[in-house]
Amino acid sequence: MDVQKKKTSLQLILWWSLPVLAVGLVIVAWVLFSANNPRLMPGPMAVIQRLIKVFEKPIAKTSLFGHAWASLKRVLTALLLAWTIGIALGILIGWNRACKAILGSIFELIRPIPPIAWIPIVIMWFGIGEFPKVLIVFIGTFVPLVINTAAGISMVDKINVDVGKMFGGNNWQILRSIVIPTALPSIFAGIRTSVSSGWTTVLAAEMIAAQKGLGALVTRGWQGSDMALVLVAVITIAIIGSLLAIFLSVLEKVVCPWKSN
Amino acid sequence: MAEINKDRPVKISVQNLTKRFGDLLVLDNMTFDIHENEFVCVVGPTGCGKTTFLNCLTRIYHPTEGDLLIDGTPADPAKHNISFVFQEPSALPWLTVEENIAYGLKIKKLPKDQIEQRVNQILDLMGLQTFRKSYPGELSVSAEQRIIIGRSFAMQPDLLLMDEPYGQMDVKVRFYLEDEVIRLWKELGSTIIFIIHNIEEAVYLAERIIILSNKPANIKEELIIDLPRPRNIADPKFIEYRNYITDKIKWW
Repeated sequence: MDVQKKKTSLQLILWWSLPVLAVGLVIVAWVLFSANNPRLMPGPMAVIQRLIKVFEKPIAKTSLFGHAWASLKRVLTALLLAWTIGIALGILIGWNRACKAILGSIFELIRPIPPIAWIPIVIMWFGIGEFPKVLIVFIGTFVPLVINTAAGISMVDKINVDVGKMFGGNNWQILRSIVIPTALPSIFAGIRTSVSSGWTTVLAAEMIAAQKGLGALVTRGWQGSDMALVLVAVITIAIIGSLLAIFLSVLEKVVCPWKSN
Repeated sequence: MAEINKDRPVKISVQNLTKRFGDLLVLDNMTFDIHENEFVCVVGPTGCGKTTFLNCLTRIYHPTEGDLLIDGTPADPAKHNISFVFQEPSALPWLTVEENIAYGLKIKKLPKDQIEQRVNQILDLMGLQTFRKSYPGELSVSAEQRIIIGRSFAMQPDLLLMDEPYGQMDVKVRFYLEDEVIRLWKELGSTIIFIIHNIEEAVYLAERIIILSNKPANIKEELIIDLPRPRNIADPKFIEYRNYITDKIKWW
């Protein structure tokens, strides 16, 4: 019994230490690679020193937090718009046959277009201000949301709809109490995709035309052969991305508690 | 007709119920009454049209001729309270046990305190208080089926239809759940039509059994089961009923 218990707790420790081990391995590989190729890749110490310098001598009169906030603000504005409009449109396409016939085919058509392919058109039409950047991120986040929501809505189990009808529920009650909850896990999958897609797109947009933002830092580091600055920006992106992922998984547990149980 | 129904008013009246699909006659001129708080089981040979019969009662199908009256007026899901326990598990996975039981009551927009009172009554009667905050996915299949039964009884329906809700369970669990249905029926005074293919269970449950003929289905015979409860499946009278009905639905 004790041996079994010991074995289980050992397995548990191993299970929890595996992710730490994986990250540790990446850092070791980084140290080794940068030691052998200092021109191609700065080491962790060089990156930390560069990080301190970013705070001492801000780039474009903006601290690292300022750049991160500039990017985050663009992503969050676009995401809020995309979540509101995208989920509503996805519900409409998934629920209403006429909407599916008209709009569904349009979305199937634009789905394979990578969001960054829109950048030249958007810059041509709207210039290089704040709006076009948010618009590009919106395009990148909106499409996966519409598609996931519509797919989730159309996957609703007929028997659950019958339950709603049997109790005399009208269309609105059935949509609200049966169809949307069924689609919530798919909507969340869309939200997760939209967040990562939002980050990718905002960086691409900022790398082309921006003074502030993490993408602008990457471009500046790249053009000035300042690889340590590139890495400072990349690591910041990774940290913010991870924090957003953690936030979303907590939010999913709150919104879809039956899934986590 | 029925001694046990003498003092109960007619709740459901099925009049000349006929259903055709094109040239195919499935239900042939069925007429019967169900009294308030009566427990009726419907048995018949496989493929005789039991499901069509049920679908006409729930208004999923509209009868070709004839009608279903509840308290003397044509049945209307918007006006009357018809509840249905499906054969397949149909608890809503995103709602807790108590929310599932309250679901129909919320759709009907009953006052909050009334919903709470009815949900608590059902949870008490079914011994589900401990699981009230659990999700169906956390419980066994039989517990999920109990939630569905509780949800239907909570509606205090004019008519409760049950379509073999225990079809997928083993015999022991089936008898356990049937005892539960009997207890709820007695406590809440519901009027029940239970479609069933297992004759032993029909004799165990019913006050009256309607035996359907082969397709096109009509009523072959109605039988009052006047055995005391709890019923003993080994009782010679019980076995006599069972054998008699088995003989009646033989098509070979």
